[in-house]
Amino acid sequence: MPNDSSRNDPRTIWQNQPTEPSIMTLEKIRQKTQELHTKTRRALLGGITVSLLVVGISAYGIAWADGPGVRAVFAFAIAWSLAGQYFVNRGIWSATLPGDAALSTGLESYRREVERRRYLSGRFLLWSFGPVVLAIATLIVLILSFGIRNRGMLLKGTLLNMIPFLALVVIWIVSVFVIRMRDQRELQREIDDLNDIERAIR
Amino acid sequence: MGGTESISTGAAAQDDLYRDAADKYGSSLERLASAYEADPEKRRDLSQDIHFQLWRSFQRFDARCSLRTWVYRVAHHVAASHVLRERKIFSKLVSLEELEMLPDKDQGQFAADQRRNLERLSVLIQQLKPLDRQVIISYLEDMDAVSIGEITGLSPGNVGMRIHRIKNILARRFHEGGDHAE
Repeated sequence: MPNDSSRNDPRTIWQNQPTEPSIMTLEKIRQKTQELHTKTRRALLGGITVSLLVVGISAYGIAWADGPGVRAVFAFAIAWSLAGQYFVNRGIWSATLPGDAALSTGLESYRREVERRRYLSGRFLLWSFGPVVLAIATLIVLILSFGIRNRGMLLKGTLLNMIPFLALVVIWIVSVFVIRMRDQRELQREIDDLNDIERAIR
Repeated sequence: MGGTESISTGAAAQDDLYRDAADKYGSSLERLASAYEADPEKRRDLSQDIHFQLWRSFQRFDARCSLRTWVYRVAHHVAASHVLRERKIFSKLVSLEELEMLPDKDQGQFAADQRRNLERLSVLIQQLKPLDRQVIISYLEDMDAVSIGEITGLSPGNVGMRIHRIKNILARRFHEGGDHAE
């Protein structure tokens, strides 16, 4: 029977905890590889869906707009979104490979991962969220101008009719922006902490 | 023909290395997963992910560092990425310095049985930021400051300082708690 001091010794407690050892069988490896492919496909599809949304809204806008200026803005949103696919995906695929992680220390690989997350978060706002906001904002302007010109409505009246939709859009934009900015701040704080640690060990 | 042979030899070596590592460090890796993930279902996934990435990593194993250092570096990397992915927001995680300042909620209600102590220890570890978690897990696995330094990239002096802090925290949480109960 263990004595009191070994019962209170954290290392004994830690090492004697019950575990269920798992071994990677070939079957499990195949399954995991499949899961990894599915995850990759899902990530790609997620990005493509955002681009399709922008392309859909912008194509609708181009079809309805009669001025070249508005059409150009929609075309720009499409180009921005497609370019964004490249930049966002480039960040996703640059994840550290397990072999690289083993060749660098925990501090280095952790720092790389935090920086990658921060980079991806920034990329998302610029290259995924930006084109969506631009396309929606231009569409709203288009609907407003359509209401004023073709139906003879006043700007105030058109805006009042659109309040529920506008409120939802604004809440969504602000929420996404606030959440992403908070994530970025926290990641930056973590990078600063890692910088302090690196300075201390130099 | 030669190319195919070397690929299959490489794959066999990769499998052998993985089996060797899993035999030697399988239990430690399970404990490591439990230190990073409290939810049993997610912990199983994390554990499988660690094993899978470890198996993948052995394609590039060149014995530049010891097998143990390699295994722990990969495992900690996968687990730290898991913490980041799960968005266990950093503001909720604390450093060792902050943990020293936190009062122990359970003090005075100490129950000296292994399971309770293990729960307390796990909760304490899961509050820590990934780098401090790497140090405390390695310490609990009986590693010395030099080995921990190899894994984490911290200098032995810095590791020593962190271990000193860890020991103080653990002593306060365990032994003082035990005295309260007695």
